Amino acid sequence: MKLLRKEFPLHLMLLPGVILTVIYAYGPMAGLVMAFQQFEPLSGFFKSEWVGFDNFTYVFNLPDFNQVLWNTIVISLFKMVLFLVVPLILALLLNEVTRRWFSRFIQSAIFLPFFLSWTVLGGVVIELFSMDGPVNGIVKSLGSEPIMFMLNNDWFRGIIIGSDVWKGMGYNMIVMLAAITGINATLYEAAEVDGAGKWKQMVHITLPGIAPIIILLSVLSLGNVLNAGFEQILIMYNPTVYEGADVIDTFVYRLGMFSQQFGPAAAVGLFKSVISLGLVSITYYAAYKYNNYRIF
Amino acid sequence: MKASNAFKMMLLLSMVITAFTACSGKGSDQTDSGAAKSGESKTETAAPEGPLSKYAEPVEVTEVMGFRPAEDPRTPKGLTPDKNAYLQQLKDMLNIDVKYKWTVPSDQYEQKFALAMASGDLPDILELGQKDYEKLRKQDMLADLSEVYQKYASPELKKYMESDGGFSMKVFSKDGKQYGIPSFEDPFLSTQLLWIRKDWLDNLKLEPPKTMDELDKVAEAFVKNDPDQNGKADTYGVALQKTLFFWGFDVRGFFNGFGAYPSVGDAQSAWIKGSDGKLVPGLIQPEMKQGLSMLQSWYQRGILNKEFALKDENKVVEDITAGKVGISYGEWWYPAWPLNLNVDKDPKANWIAIQIPSLSGPGKSLVPKLRSGRVYAVNKNMKNPEAAIKMMNFYIEMGKKKYTDTLRPEKGFVYNWFNPRIYNPAQIETIYTEVNKALEAKQQEITLDDENYTLVKDVYNYVKDYQSGSTKIASKGTNWGGYFSRVAENGGWGLTRQIKQNQAFVNNEFYGIPTATQVEKGSQLDKLMQETFTKIILGAPMDEFDKFVTSWKTLGGDKITEEVNAWYNEQAVK
Repeated sequence: MKLLRKEFPLHLMLLPGVILTVIYAYGPMAGLVMAFQQFEPLSGFFKSEWVGFDNFTYVFNLPDFNQVLWNTIVISLFKMVLFLVVPLILALLLNEVTRRWFSRFIQSAIFLPFFLSWTVLGGVVIELFSMDGPVNGIVKSLGSEPIMFMLNNDWFRGIIIGSDVWKGMGYNMIVMLAAITGINATLYEAAEVDGAGKWKQMVHITLPGIAPIIILLSVLSLGNVLNAGFEQILIMYNPTVYEGADVIDTFVYRLGMFSQQFGPAAAVGLFKSVISLGLVSITYYAAYKYNNYRIF
Repeated sequence: MKASNAFKMMLLLSMVITAFTACSGKGSDQTDSGAAKSGESKTETAAPEGPLSKYAEPVEVTEVMGFRPAEDPRTPKGLTPDKNAYLQQLKDMLNIDVKYKWTVPSDQYEQKFALAMASGDLPDILELGQKDYEKLRKQDMLADLSEVYQKYASPELKKYMESDGGFSMKVFSKDGKQYGIPSFEDPFLSTQLLWIRKDWLDNLKLEPPKTMDELDKVAEAFVKNDPDQNGKADTYGVALQKTLFFWGFDVRGFFNGFGAYPSVGDAQSAWIKGSDGKLVPGLIQPEMKQGLSMLQSWYQRGILNKEFALKDENKVVEDITAGKVGISYGEWWYPAWPLNLNVDKDPKANWIAIQIPSLSGPGKSLVPKLRSGRVYAVNKNMKNPEAAIKMMNFYIEMGKKKYTDTLRPEKGFVYNWFNPRIYNPAQIETIYTEVNKALEAKQQEITLDDENYTLVKDVYNYVKDYQSGSTKIASKGTNWGGYFSRVAENGGWGLTRQIKQNQAFVNNEFYGIPTATQVEKGSQLDKLMQETFTKIILGAPMDEFDKFVTSWKTLGGDKITEEVNAWYNEQAVK
């Protein structure tokens, strides 16, 4: 009781955050009942007919569903791995650059696309890879036939993944750079005295030093394993590449917005959340167990 | 995705019509406000229960709107839909206050409206597509308009609704109750024509194609033989954008030439009468295969653009404007847009319309039985449902001669920001006959004096400017577009009405609202179709089509066929 009184002002300060979370994160969860209803917008939650798991069986039996699920997993796994590896390499390289102005310039240039929206960048990417675009200009100058990148399932997936990594890599890079700066400089001095070169220093000091951050970033990204990047794909895809690039979110979007099948759309959403929750729990536990890293 | 095509088609038509209304302010500027005032005073003294009687107390009506930027350059800058001068005029004449719950740019409308439906937050007057209409009617959200329509509809509105024998009205009624007032048009407006550059044909000494073989040769020549004679291989044959069945720059008319009738421009299949009298889906008939294999060969030979599957209609219009392509399937309005842009850019460009080629001579186009993209309905909870009918009367009334000088864009009148708008279904025929009559009699002004006056006058002005070569008001292309789409004997509508008279058409027999399975499976079947057909055109083996037919049937197509036939037996007006 005494403790509570002492900490009361702290709890009070938490309150606004809690209220917002309840309203905007927990409140809408009530809408999940739609997943179990033959939902009619105008009848609302209370008058719509209950159908149990029918929506789930319906969606899982749609011929497209497996394809869509597979696409989602492939695209997002590639993105997840590259979002760790690419920024890590960049951060390590930038860390070795000794001229400050140069390193700052490169940092900003890499970070810049992070702030642009896909609505703009999508059009840019499509133009870049079009038949008459600069990329095909290079292909042609090398003597090959121009390639229809945006109409080819193999290329298109690569472009989706590559362009998203290019756009977003700056963020993780900055986080990792910050972590590197936090490493105690005396460690490097000691290593130099012991005769370790740059490579040895990186492997034995820098990498272990930022390991917690890398783990944190991967745990956070695992929760997104079923998010393959809705906005980006919606803007860039076309019927020819549905096969390789139609993902859960675009699928739900068409189901909900255009066919107005709100029940099945909510069912897929719930399915996604449950899987994500499971994955986050597992990685969180693993990170705690093997690396003694925990948030709570 | 495709449910919106009918709606887009309507928007596009509105745009075409605006191209004409755009220049309405010319001529008799001096007699400006006199006519308007006399108009107002007349309605004020009208009987309290008439079609245009003014309410004693202000009546508030809520609406929602997806709007495009006002097209007329003279519209005051910064004008927003809620400041549209039509609303003030409406307030003055009928004492109705229109309040918008929300207004969004038209490309966001569909989504926003779906959300509004999901949250049940609907306005008093609703502009609906057929699917939403059916949904709301089933949920008992719409008011029965039979009584207020009988009591308040103006003679013009009634005349319009009866112009097709009450057919369209019947489609939007159930058990004797009228739930919607459709805005419909002459179904022959959908007739497919082949637009082709005559100057290119002449350069290559070719005749306009009559059969598919001839078209094939012409299209190939347009790719290989430098039809624009600029010494560069920078042209291709046939314009096509990524949605294969759309409202323009698509292949509906192309397939018609093979006796295949896949679609009315909506993504849904068209339904034609089979040999046993039952309705069959045109989308999966064997004739389709022949067409697809020709498209495949066209793609290989560069007659279609290599990246058509990435192009939307805007990109195709760019190609047409830039003179990169010389053939396009489409409806009567092409000269008004986008062919006019090409004519403005290249004075030598000369587009003509011909009846679609088929395997043996000129072919038959698919024509729907009903052409109605929008229907106006009233929220059941609206206190004054008659206000909706009165607003329709009002819009028709504003077309009369005495208001011509009032409706000036400078004053902030933006016609397509006003709803509900019901047009004369026979508008285009009225314009064609009246303008040609006036041309023959060499009249200076249009003498017609009814609610069609403004439209007929606008087109007549274009035609006169086109003939005299005057570009004071509009560019050469615009004047030519106005003339060639609506008035010329062999132009858009001129050729279409010949086709109508010669009965060179096949009807799409299904005009009901989408069936339950269509609503449920529509987008999925559409995705399957788009994906398969695009792949075949890009070079996939032709067996893909047979596989598509099997999947289409099992994924709901067979059930839709049953439902459509059930509808045909019970509800079709035969």
